[in-house]
Amino acid sequence: MTTLLAGPFNRVEGDLEIWLDIADGRVTAARVNSPLYRGFERMLIGKDPRDALTITPRICGICSISQSAAAALALADLAGAEPAPMGAQAARLLHAVENVSDHLTHFNVFFMPDFARPDYDARPWHPRAVERFTAAQGGAVRAAIEARARLIHIVGLLGGKWPHTLAIQPGGVTRAPTLRDRIRIEADLRAFRRYLETQLFGAEIEAFAALSTPDELADWSTGDAALFLEIAEDLALADLGRGGGRFLSFGAYPGPDGPAFARGTWTPEGPAPLDPSRIVEDVSHAWMLGPAAHPSAGETTPDEEMRASAYSWCKAPRLAGRPYETGALARQAVHGHPLARALAAQGGDVHARVAGRLLEIALTQLLMEDWARRLDPAAPCMRAVRLPDEGEGAGLLEAARGALGHWIRVEGGRIAGYQIVAPTTWNFSPRDASGAPGPCEAALVGAPAPADQPTPLAVQHVVRSFDPCMVCTVH
Amino acid sequence: MEPIETFYEVMRKQGITRRSFIKYCSLTASALGLGPAFVPRIAHAMETKPRTPVIWVNGLECTCCSESFIRGAHPLAKDVVLSMISLDYSHTLMAAAGHHAEAALEETIQKYKGEYILAVEGNPPLNEDGMFCIVGGKPFVEQLRHAAKDAKAIISWGACASYGCVQAAKPNPTQATPVHKVITDKPIIKVPGCPPIAEVMTGVITYMLTFDRLPELDRQGRPAMFYGQRIHDKCYRRPHFDAGQFVEAWDDENARKGYCLYKMGCKGPTTYNACSTVRWNEGLSFPIQAGHGCIGCSEDGFWDQGSFYDRVTDLTQFGVESNADQVGMAAAGVVGASVAVHAAVSALKAAQKKSQTKPSASGPTQPVREDA
Repeated sequence: MTTLLAGPFNRVEGDLEIWLDIADGRVTAARVNSPLYRGFERMLIGKDPRDALTITPRICGICSISQSAAAALALADLAGAEPAPMGAQAARLLHAVENVSDHLTHFNVFFMPDFARPDYDARPWHPRAVERFTAAQGGAVRAAIEARARLIHIVGLLGGKWPHTLAIQPGGVTRAPTLRDRIRIEADLRAFRRYLETQLFGAEIEAFAALSTPDELADWSTGDAALFLEIAEDLALADLGRGGGRFLSFGAYPGPDGPAFARGTWTPEGPAPLDPSRIVEDVSHAWMLGPAAHPSAGETTPDEEMRASAYSWCKAPRLAGRPYETGALARQAVHGHPLARALAAQGGDVHARVAGRLLEIALTQLLMEDWARRLDPAAPCMRAVRLPDEGEGAGLLEAARGALGHWIRVEGGRIAGYQIVAPTTWNFSPRDASGAPGPCEAALVGAPAPADQPTPLAVQHVVRSFDPCMVCTVH
Repeated sequence: MEPIETFYEVMRKQGITRRSFIKYCSLTASALGLGPAFVPRIAHAMETKPRTPVIWVNGLECTCCSESFIRGAHPLAKDVVLSMISLDYSHTLMAAAGHHAEAALEETIQKYKGEYILAVEGNPPLNEDGMFCIVGGKPFVEQLRHAAKDAKAIISWGACASYGCVQAAKPNPTQATPVHKVITDKPIIKVPGCPPIAEVMTGVITYMLTFDRLPELDRQGRPAMFYGQRIHDKCYRRPHFDAGQFVEAWDDENARKGYCLYKMGCKGPTTYNACSTVRWNEGLSFPIQAGHGCIGCSEDGFWDQGSFYDRVTDLTQFGVESNADQVGMAAAGVVGASVAVHAAVSALKAAQKKSQTKPSASGPTQPVREDA
């Protein structure tokens, strides 16, 4: 058996290193290290609770609206308040734009360029992969970056700037969308639909959103989606990166009738409700001190000795003692989309995770169009929210990469405790006290690792299939 | 050593047409505030000079600078600059991974010794011997020192590299340290902001690539062309400030009328940046236009100045006599951030007086877009 350090990984957000045990050309065990720690939870202590709205988005420049929305939700919960309905709707739209553009970035800029590598030059699809997905130059990459910049105009209009938008507040949003905004937003969404229907899907998004079985998906024959499916078939990506089959979602885009994508858990045995009080962050293999605790009682005290029995700065969140995978596939499986459930039935894999994202791009575009149409310039976009001097609150929602939670405790008008559990904290968590590996660690077992590949290609596909955001993971 | 290709050759190889190239030159000229006469000069420089290699490294950061750059800039400018940058070493964008990536970094350093620009996103944490940010098995601070040794100049992208940013907020758990406190023997150009505006980033890097020198810097090492004026100086809501018309609460009637956000904690009066002129996401908007005050993210220490929703100073102090030197400095737009907070009262007063007596004296009027 040999041990290999794979990394640093590029084309993931932030820094990542993985120790691989390899025997007979296959990975037998993996240990994922998040080598970047900044200490956001400690900086927040003693600050004005509203400062969380500005500080937490800066955890991550790619999912900053998710962080900002989670902070706003936690503060609203602390105050026992609900945002103005129209403000909540504008916030959902802002958040959806970011989530979709993250999926788009992942597919075009992070994931697909791997197939344009010379390692695959013997495959029949390779010339097309090179043409479409060569890093920073391929036709698909350019088209996606351009479409995304236009889509982000919506955040520009409603939020003033992106990244690190300040508009989302516990009571709603700071800008009441004008009629002119609505017209421009609808135009931006039409342009984005055009991009999706000519490039990514190559056909109507309604048709893609309506796919209900893996066979129907495999028959999809247009756009970059078809090229991915062809590659996935040829390389058997459905057999790579098999997950543990436990999925969770905090529910995406909260609204008066509940979230647009449901909250819950899903396993091949079926759906179940999610009980957030059963979340515990284990620190047995993290360079962190303190007991395993629910995030509302958690602390972040780095182990400066970096004890030998630990190997990551990342804590290990567990729900009812078990690791869970989170992300677009989990979200759609929990919500009940038939294609997502069929894809997730074998536990999650590289093909299913990427297809889950494509499916969600189509579904979210439909939601965004609906929300934009119903923006009412006359309705109040903000409600006055008075934060109490003492209390607790939680903000649970779905970022592009999965379940994101903020837990705040306020004493004497100042933040006394703030804990953040990000999607990649779930997916890239280290082992827990029982020795159970995190979802990515488990998914890497069995991946081919030929001796002539210093950073095995299959390992890279598996890692990128989770779309890790390492800067969020350990904040 | 084989000769380095010119910019123009690189662009043509990337499939950029002659027509787009000329358009790029004129975009660059206007972004830098240069007249049309500079277009042929820029074109000539790019056709004849060897391209400047760029190494782009990431330390303790959130990737918002890269994201701003990729998602926000004019597609052509971004394409051109990106294609040139990704030729060498870029942690987030390059094709190679793992050991190949490390080898590419080393090769670029050796091949272009003394010739390349080192662009730094994020900063090194120095606590625990730098163990809070590990790149390629080593603390980032080592990669930074190593890559800086043979660099011609360094660009500090964003508030992280320039000043430390929120990760340096008290108690600064990792001792996140700005680049200029670690590298002291190289010219460093600071491009602060969290993140900086995409057009400012492309503007700075294009200037350096094209003219092979640093742009004019202010006393804090920021390019004067983008950081010479306060947000407040060119804010489209400024007339409401001068008229004493303020938003008092989120989404109140005054907010709907687009009144000044000063009372909501706007830091525009003490913040030097181009947000109110260049704006964000292809000139579309900026935070004040979206109804939220400026938080001063391009100023040193913005993360530890009390609540983001506290006023920069109390309005009742407007009657207090100001120090003439401070007024002069502030009005001339050269005051550094360290004194800006103290000078704000005087500056506000001076600016207000000036605009009350001579409404158009403060330069060309910014066109008021939308909700004014």
